[in-house]
Amino acid sequence: MEIPYTFTARKDTGLFNSKIGIWLFLASEVMLFGGLFSGYVFLRLYADYPWPERALPVLPGLINTFVLIGSSVTVVFAWASLKMRQWGRFQFFMGITIFCAVIFMVLKGLEYNAKWHHQAVRLDDFTILEGHTHKAELDERGHLHIHHEHGAEPTEEEKKRQFPANVVVVEAEEINFTLVRAHDPYVKDILAKAKERGAVPVLADNAFFYGSPKDLPIDAAERKKLEDQLIKSHASGKEAVRFGDKKDSLYIPKDTQLTVDLLDRAEDVYLEARAINGEVRTKVLRKLWKDAREADKEDLPNFKLAEGIQIDPEEHLTGLVAEAPSALTFTFEKPVALHFKRSLIREGEGSSKLKDDTIIKGAVASSPMGLAVDAVDLRWVAQRAHEQGKDPKTVIEGLWIMENPEFKEIWERHSAQLAILTEELKKDGREPTENDKYRIDWQDLVAFHRAHEKHLEPGSPEVADLRPGMFEGITGPNHKIEENQHAFFSIDIPNEKVGFESLFTPKWNNYYAIYFTLTGLHGLHVVGGALVLAYYMFFSKGLYRRNPEWLANRVEIGGLFWHFVDLVWIFLFPILYLM
Amino acid sequence: MADSVEEIKKAQKLYILIGLVLFVFTVVTVAVATQPWLDFGAHGFDKADMTIGLLIATVKATLVGAIFMHLNHEKKLVYWVFGLGIIMGIALMLLTALSFADPIKYGNPKTGDGFYNPEIPEIN
Amino acid sequence: MSSASEAHASDGHHDDHGDHHHELPFWKKYIFSTDHKMIGIQYGITALLFLAFGFYLMMVMRWSIAYPHEPLPGWMSWFLSDDWKARWLQDGKVTGETYNMFGAMHGTIMVFLGIVPLGFAAFGNFVTPLQIGAIDMAFPKLNMASYWLYLLGGLVMIGSFFVESGAAKSGWTNYSPLAGFADSQIVNQFLAGQTQWLLGMVFLISSSLLGAVNFLTTIINLRARGLTWMRLPFFVWAMLVTGFLLLLAFPPLEVAALMQLMDRTAGSSFFMPSGLYTKTAGLLEASGSGSPLLYQHLFWFLGHPEVYVLLLPAIACVAEIIPTNTRKPLWGYKSMVYAVIVLGFLSFIVWAHHMYLTGMGPVVSNFFQTTTVLISIPSVILLTSMLISLWGGSIRFNQPMLWAAAFIPMFGIGGLTGLPLAFNLVDLHLHDTYYVIGHFHYVVAPGVLFGLFAGIYHWYPKITGRHMSNFLGHLHFWPSLIFMNLLFFPMLVQGMAGFHRRWYNGGDAYLSKASDSVNIFGNTVAEWLWLNPVMSWAAWLLAAAQIPFFINFWTSIWWGKKIKNDNPWDATTLEWSTPTPPPHGNFTYDVNVYRGPYEYSREDHEGDFYPQWEAPKRDEPAEEPAKKPVA
Repeated sequence: MEIPYTFTARKDTGLFNSKIGIWLFLASEVMLFGGLFSGYVFLRLYADYPWPERALPVLPGLINTFVLIGSSVTVVFAWASLKMRQWGRFQFFMGITIFCAVIFMVLKGLEYNAKWHHQAVRLDDFTILEGHTHKAELDERGHLHIHHEHGAEPTEEEKKRQFPANVVVVEAEEINFTLVRAHDPYVKDILAKAKERGAVPVLADNAFFYGSPKDLPIDAAERKKLEDQLIKSHASGKEAVRFGDKKDSLYIPKDTQLTVDLLDRAEDVYLEARAINGEVRTKVLRKLWKDAREADKEDLPNFKLAEGIQIDPEEHLTGLVAEAPSALTFTFEKPVALHFKRSLIREGEGSSKLKDDTIIKGAVASSPMGLAVDAVDLRWVAQRAHEQGKDPKTVIEGLWIMENPEFKEIWERHSAQLAILTEELKKDGREPTENDKYRIDWQDLVAFHRAHEKHLEPGSPEVADLRPGMFEGITGPNHKIEENQHAFFSIDIPNEKVGFESLFTPKWNNYYAIYFTLTGLHGLHVVGGALVLAYYMFFSKGLYRRNPEWLANRVEIGGLFWHFVDLVWIFLFPILYLM
Repeated sequence: MADSVEEIKKAQKLYILIGLVLFVFTVVTVAVATQPWLDFGAHGFDKADMTIGLLIATVKATLVGAIFMHLNHEKKLVYWVFGLGIIMGIALMLLTALSFADPIKYGNPKTGDGFYNPEIPEIN
Repeated sequence: MSSASEAHASDGHHDDHGDHHHELPFWKKYIFSTDHKMIGIQYGITALLFLAFGFYLMMVMRWSIAYPHEPLPGWMSWFLSDDWKARWLQDGKVTGETYNMFGAMHGTIMVFLGIVPLGFAAFGNFVTPLQIGAIDMAFPKLNMASYWLYLLGGLVMIGSFFVESGAAKSGWTNYSPLAGFADSQIVNQFLAGQTQWLLGMVFLISSSLLGAVNFLTTIINLRARGLTWMRLPFFVWAMLVTGFLLLLAFPPLEVAALMQLMDRTAGSSFFMPSGLYTKTAGLLEASGSGSPLLYQHLFWFLGHPEVYVLLLPAIACVAEIIPTNTRKPLWGYKSMVYAVIVLGFLSFIVWAHHMYLTGMGPVVSNFFQTTTVLISIPSVILLTSMLISLWGGSIRFNQPMLWAAAFIPMFGIGGLTGLPLAFNLVDLHLHDTYYVIGHFHYVVAPGVLFGLFAGIYHWYPKITGRHMSNFLGHLHFWPSLIFMNLLFFPMLVQGMAGFHRRWYNGGDAYLSKASDSVNIFGNTVAEWLWLNPVMSWAAWLLAAAQIPFFINFWTSIWWGKKIKNDNPWDATTLEWSTPTPPPHGNFTYDVNVYRGPYEYSREDHEGDFYPQWEAPKRDEPAEEPAKKPVA
């Protein structure tokens, strides 16, 4: 009753079951990563913007490659030990393999972490600036104040008040919440921020929700009478009572403070009203259709009726349906400065919208983005200049960022270095790349700063040697080192000039998107494989005693998967890090 | 799995050797890509770098597959199964990439000197 | 003409001859079973329920097409909650948004939750190990995991109907950029229907991948002694090729789903082009430079092999039923085997015939046109062989044969209507019209589904020990046949006139002045719009015609005619040599295979048929000597 060939080979195929199974699975994995690689090729070939080249620090990738190759060797030794029935040696090598997997994931985590704290912004003229946002806070008058100083560590209290200088400040007068869409975390956030400024949003007007038609007074005058009664009883200190003490209705008097609970209750009644109205309108429309069909005594197919005859239930509905507003508006006594992350808010004329369709009425205050810049990339500017038939040099000289004196000096040094490089390459008949010409990365900024400190003139040949090497800044520019803080210059970018901004996440551009997807999926495979190998290392003593050959086969299968994971990395590393 | 204990004992030296070879190849790939004195084609990243890099990667992959994954003495069935996967993977990559690289219609992808020259759009 | 064991109408009790005497608890025997037969039944019942759900979605869509300005009638909407109706119906009418949602989910559910699990997973799981003489699948626990992943994915998909954003609504093909930003107004993306569709797909794809690994390993390594490759029933060959299609074609779709998930949740722009502007969201806040075409390539790389995954299990069933009920071997078995292998291989390189209108260059476009036309050859070989198999046979018109015989012309129409679509020039006119819908529904609905129904009627006696009612079977068959044709044939006509697909209001736009234009076939759409109510009524009556089937399926378990012996159809393949229903471990004897799978009416044998498992008499040699090991 045992399934045959689980660890003994079948004669004609020469294989046992899990061997076939794992090679089948690996074939499907080839298709999986092949699909991602074909996506990479397609996206890179047909990109309409300059594809980042050599944008990632190579050292972590290189170490990870060594680590994985090493682990491939040790996993084979682990299997060999099992075949030779050396349990201790097996555990030893398996342990190293798993340890290598851990190192791999830790390095990967460090790399990812550095990227997710690194900011990038594309200005409206297509200049790209990379760096770290400064910290900012709103002062008593509600104005944005950006901290450029590299002073002492902020206090606890300061830390609570400060936020990254990448926000839009709105002088909020009114906030309108759509009941079914309002996202609770956003509501709580607005309440908290308003509280910080010492303000509370209150309901702008009385709101009456008649959830069920039986609550609805039939007469408009009667309805007004009831509403006045309610307002009076509320003014005399009674708590806001449910309208008519009926379950389905709700009365919220003007100036009630905003709470999440309030919005939820209003939403409940609104949905009830919507359901009832839907039912009533459907019934009416069905009846109207039935009448229309009978009236003409013809079998009217619908699409013929579309030509001019519209059956609209609207006129037949008075008095039958429930009423409930779908949105509520809250106001502040005077405009309150609220700040929102730039990616969550869409500014407009006089009012701005959040992602859940909450509308904030008020002017947008000055909301510059404060950045400590560690790289400037003008390749896109140059590409667009080429496409439009203009001279890149002229376009660059007219850029907004050229007005910044610190950058102007950096650009001069850069141009001088570029001239030296061009001379050298001309001797071999070669040319500098787009990267050389238009991208100033953080190592250049550090080199220029060191040259400045050493009082070297722009264009001195020694400047090239002042660049930090592969071992400094293993995961990229480190803004905590004091030397770097002086090398990277600060800039305040006005809100209107910000075109597109993002941390170095998949959102920034497709290169990072495919990088994170490929390495992330690969990382998941590393974790999965490591878990399987760890299972064999820790929990298989029993199987080893009963049937060591079966265990050896299982470990071989696990090892095959591990080697495949290594194989994928062998291709990933040069493609993502070196090209 | 058909390896006998004696064969494995002999193979252990080979495994270490291949591991070292892989290390060396990795260093070579990085050196060719990053060191300016090893620039074969144009300055910076260019087709020569890419070809060498992918070539070395393929060699490394073949070594891992053949020796660590025992593909050099596997059964025919495994070759068929895995080979089918590789072929289909290549078909996917090739045909997808070529679907817009039609030389008759588009000519060179960047300059578009074929019959149909797409307008390069203004990006707002 | 003997079967190896007595017939006994049993209830699944697996007390076999004394190896393992373990009585499994209820939850391990019926719910978390690792037995391929139980898993097959689980897949089958779940898939039938999903098919019914998808059918309902189509019924509502057909209402919208036939009567676009009228509210849904009570009989179609009484069980929907008032809240749901208020949100998704406008005054009771089907809105465009709701129609799109139903359309997208109808396609998804029918293809991924209905036909593939029913054809490949249900039939494959139950029958394949039996037909190759194995005691179970190679990896039983993996098999169980496959089922539960499938159920999880299915529940996620169904659950997405009840979130505020509704289910996915960008077509079953889920093209970006629409599918990348539809429902993007939901702040928590994991509560958005579009995102849940992608998550469901990841589960379903993983389930299929594991299933494919299982099937292939089983067929390769667990065949009984003497069962060489060319003695395999065609059913098993079809399952083998289907397994390879699933194995190699699904991962690129998983990649596409993953990338679209990244687009939706992480804000990447894999498939979002630069400068995308929408009315609801304005200029898209994304980095751009993505390619919607990349999504289409990755999707259709699966999409085309997927349609063969739908088809081959049905051909598998029909290829078993025809020899059994004509009492003669399958004609052209060898050609069919080669044809199905070539079909599988070619199906990977035809995918861009779904993308003729994307602006590919003529060289690549012609390449795909050539391979697409080429792939019709193996399909025709398969169909013709089955048709010729009928010639000169002693045909028994029982229920399975009825459905199998109907499969041939229905699938024939479906396949032939596909040929014009293969040519890139003709496809320019027919792409995205009802012609395409008519074509693929002919293949899948009166084609594949009839084949699968045939399989259900055929193997039901083996599973339950009772026949399904013949009378109810006729009540199911004849109306189904008529209404299927009434429903789908007019689509071909409307499509050739130019009726665009995926429009919710029955094409009333064609009634405006612009529709005076005539297409190259001399038709206006307006003159064919009267067919809409005809087709819709055909659809609703088709639903009614399935009721006899559901009654039959469930009641025959207790009240169907009991089988006389373990081999009620007098068939030759191995599954008929087991007790009924097969116990845990399947076979009560040592399985040896001595001949090919379709030895019916042999001149040199005195019996009417010569089963594969029956040992030859001492003075007879075994059939063609077993081949050298395939190693």
